[in-house]
Amino acid sequence: MKNTLRTLRERSGWSQAELAARLDVSRQTVNAIETGRYDPSLPLAFRIAGLFGSTIESIFDPEE
Amino acid sequence: MRRLSRSSYRRVLAVLMAAYVLLMLFAWPAVRQVHAPAARIALALAPVVPVIGVIALMARRVMGGDELEQRVHMLALGAATALVAVASLVAGFLAAAGVLALGGDVLIFVFPALCVLYGALHWRIARHYGGGCR
Repeated sequence: MKNTLRTLRERSGWSQAELAARLDVSRQTVNAIETGRYDPSLPLAFRIAGLFGSTIESIFDPEE
Repeated sequence: MRRLSRSSYRRVLAVLMAAYVLLMLFAWPAVRQVHAPAARIALALAPVVPVIGVIALMARRVMGGDELEQRVHMLALGAATALVAVASLVAGFLAAAGVLALGGDVLIFVFPALCVLYGALHWRIARHYGGGCR
């Protein structure tokens, strides 16, 4: 699943480690999501969306 | 559950494995010289204690991980268990048929084999997700 997490993170000026700390996951997990290797669970997707004040469907695109 | 740091995990693991090695080197060989059943059982099972500690440590590490880390651990453990189970089944059938001469001692190697396979598969699966998962 494609997503805009990297763009949102860079726009916020956070490193992967900083975003990982805010989401209470490892940096490797943030990297795996950004590169599309791992699709997060619904609770984690909600945490990501909440952190950026956005919606899940605006960050994650299942069609691509 | 509180995340177990890599350094803490390695430190506790080193202590437990050192205890295991010391027991295997110094306590376990005495099992054949001891004749009292209770002492014999205690000596024979002494190395199991640090191994149970290692299992508890690994469980804590898995439970303290995030969802991707838990997924990697579970996939590695599941695949390693399946491979060891098949190998045990094959060896068991061959031993029962008299093709292989296996003693009960071979069971000692089941857990180490599981650990080695688990480690290798964890590395491989973590690489699939971009590498570096704890």
